[in-house]
Amino acid sequence: MSLFQGINTSASALTANRLRLDTIASNIANAETTRANFANGVWQPYKRKMVELSPKSSESFDNLLQAAVGNISGKNGDQGVRVTSIKEDETPFKRVFDPSHPDADKDGYVLMPNVDMMKEMVDMISASRSYEANITALNASKNMMMKALEIR
Amino acid sequence: MLGSYHTQILERSMDAANLRHKTITNNLANIDTPQFKSQQVVFEEYLQQEISGLHGQQKLEAYRTSDRHIPFANAGGFAMPQIVSNPNNFVQNNGNDVDLESEETELAKNQIWYSGLTQLTAGSYQKIRSVIDGGGK
Repeated sequence: MSLFQGINTSASALTANRLRLDTIASNIANAETTRANFANGVWQPYKRKMVELSPKSSESFDNLLQAAVGNISGKNGDQGVRVTSIKEDETPFKRVFDPSHPDADKDGYVLMPNVDMMKEMVDMISASRSYEANITALNASKNMMMKALEIR
Repeated sequence: MLGSYHTQILERSMDAANLRHKTITNNLANIDTPQFKSQQVVFEEYLQQEISGLHGQQKLEAYRTSDRHIPFANAGGFAMPQIVSNPNNFVQNNGNDVDLESEETELAKNQIWYSGLTQLTAGSYQKIRSVIDGGGK
């Protein structure tokens, strides 16, 4: 049983949470972007992006081997987390009345991105707390390995 | 002497601590994964049963003339860690039931338990070394 697996698991979570934070930063940065992509002759506003997470498969060689030789019984934990995809939020865009805006339609309305600052803030705190929790786990892995090296 | 029962228990306990650490790490990694169900490792109870079976009441041992004979009762059956799901945890709106506080405390407990085991293991080897040296140093 390798203790490095614990570090790899934490590392996958750190990467996933870093990506979540990056995505949130992108959403906040583009909260006012009205020209994200050009489709059918009109500019489309920025769409809010979300990270989709799922557990990593437990069908790894190490897991199957350990189960086959009977070192562990019962279902072994899936190891780590992975980002399945980055999805776009399909909620409708906000319509804001601003006739002086360059992207205003003939009625004076502008389509603004569907980014909700409250949601982004809550997600950001959640992602950064998860990152911290996984740092703690990573430090614990390191300490345990250093302790094991003290056996002599 | 070198592969004594005592050392074997220490070894298996460290393996269990290792497995528990991996399980907790995995729970923490999936703290925001929808529909993820946390897992925990049960070991000490099984070890306690095995030890009390050895020192408490007499255990029935069957004589085995071949390695391929099925062990009698649970003779030779070592206590092994089991990974079980956590049925009592509160499930959140996204179907995830990882409890950050309990996982962090389990992580800290397990870490202390592991360092205790390494000290015991190192101590048992220290004893053997002092016997080899004849207590001369």
